[in-house]
Amino acid sequence: MSARMEHENIVVGSLAQIGRCGLFLLRILSAIPLSMRHVRETVRQLWFVGAMSLTIIMTCGLFVGMVLGLQLYHVLAIFGGTSATGSVVALAVYRELGPVVTALLFAGRAGTSITAEIGLMRATDQIAAMEMMAVDPIAYVIAPRFLAGLIAMPLLCCVFCGLSIFGGHIVAVDWLRVDNGTFWSNMTATVDVWDDVINGIIWKSVVFGAVVSLIAVFQGYTTPPTSEGVAYATTRTVVTSSIAILALDFVLTAFLM
Amino acid sequence: MIDTVQVQSDDRTLVRIRGLTTVLNGKTVFDKLDLDIPRGKVTAIMGPSGTGKTTLLKHITGQMRPDAGEVSVDGRNVAALSREALFELRERIGYLFQNSALLTDFDVFENVAFPLRQHTKLPEVLIRNIVLTKLQAVGLRGAASLTPAELSGGMARRVALARAIVFDPMLILYDEPFVGLDPIALNQVLKLIRTLNETLGLTSVLVAHELEAIKQVADHVYLIANGKVVAQGDPKTIANDGSPWTSQFFGGNADGPVPFQYPADDYAQALGFKQGAA
Repeated sequence: MSARMEHENIVVGSLAQIGRCGLFLLRILSAIPLSMRHVRETVRQLWFVGAMSLTIIMTCGLFVGMVLGLQLYHVLAIFGGTSATGSVVALAVYRELGPVVTALLFAGRAGTSITAEIGLMRATDQIAAMEMMAVDPIAYVIAPRFLAGLIAMPLLCCVFCGLSIFGGHIVAVDWLRVDNGTFWSNMTATVDVWDDVINGIIWKSVVFGAVVSLIAVFQGYTTPPTSEGVAYATTRTVVTSSIAILALDFVLTAFLM
Repeated sequence: MIDTVQVQSDDRTLVRIRGLTTVLNGKTVFDKLDLDIPRGKVTAIMGPSGTGKTTLLKHITGQMRPDAGEVSVDGRNVAALSREALFELRERIGYLFQNSALLTDFDVFENVAFPLRQHTKLPEVLIRNIVLTKLQAVGLRGAASLTPAELSGGMARRVALARAIVFDPMLILYDEPFVGLDPIALNQVLKLIRTLNETLGLTSVLVAHELEAIKQVADHVYLIANGKVVAQGDPKTIANDGSPWTSQFFGGNADGPVPFQYPADDYAQALGFKQGAA
């Protein structure tokens, strides 16, 4: 096979995969009304992908805020603008770091486990057993996990942002002696609820939540039922999600600006 | 026994397979296969490994579509059913998977209760009673709170059996139900299959290799090889019907119409010996 044909095959293969993923999304969406019968399953998944991810989200949020506070304080000090530390930390976190880092962490923490779980359910015939018991696996297994990811992501992002601001506050105000009042008042003066909070946290993280959850369930559902297949699918979830998050972030920022 | 199978009336045949042709990855699994499964009987399907016995069960339940031919269950062509109609049909079919396929998220009790919870709104007390009755029948009422990971292979199979019969289906398909059972459990499962058939009047299809067990429980045996039914009859006499298929299969001989060796090139050549060198 020539190199050109190989490249064409990769392009066609990727496009076909995106197409299959889109069709899978339609199947999930059409199964959501049916999955409302399994609200308990959705809540259980929400606990698993949301509540169980809190530790990593909170820890990372705190450190991201702290390092931002530290870096920005020293850069702003050059211009004598350390009083703006609070507002710059908040803008960076709300607009970019909050949704993006939360989504990347979510893909690594929850996305992989969703893929591996569904892949193993397929490998051990549990999906086929549900089909045989006349229970639609899309409605019972896939849709609850998809919905849980969609709901959990904005909530986790809010927690992440809150902890980041707190981390920035610790470093800037408590350690580097930026005035407490200036820190908060500058922040409230520059942060716009619609432009920064709603567009940043809500829109971006809802889109990221949908994309990461879709990739995770799709990879799990379509994996070859072998240990190697599950391993590859888990890796692909992280790689594909990360690329999708960063690429979509640019697109969303360009549109939302 | 053979007479009951060959009766063509709709009332007596639950599953009718006509001209079933299936090609998987370029290999013909079934070649115009005809087969009838009579109502209220235990029918065993035997055959060498890889003849597509599990595939046949998948056709009956609509998990796979045939390339040609027709599989009808209770008078309805399975391949032509809509998804809703297929699910409706499956609610009346119990299926025992080769590897049990228990849901690992739930304990034994919830696994058996799963179909009831999904398809009925029965009060909790009733669900509890039904589940415990089924677990008692397979001897595992005491294991109700264990998780599937804590069960041995044989126990998992019995739980899966309890789950398959929890809805009192019209048709039960057992895929290798005897593998991994100790003699005590085997005997109980055999009795259970027989009792279910006699008391509930349901129809059973067994895919298995154990002729001794099948002799005790089945009314009729089909021997499938090379995509066709090569022999059928009473399980007690089929082994002695004199055909080369049955004498090879039940005699366990490597030589006969079924090749033991997967098609391969010359053995001596593969080992590096020169042709003709002694």
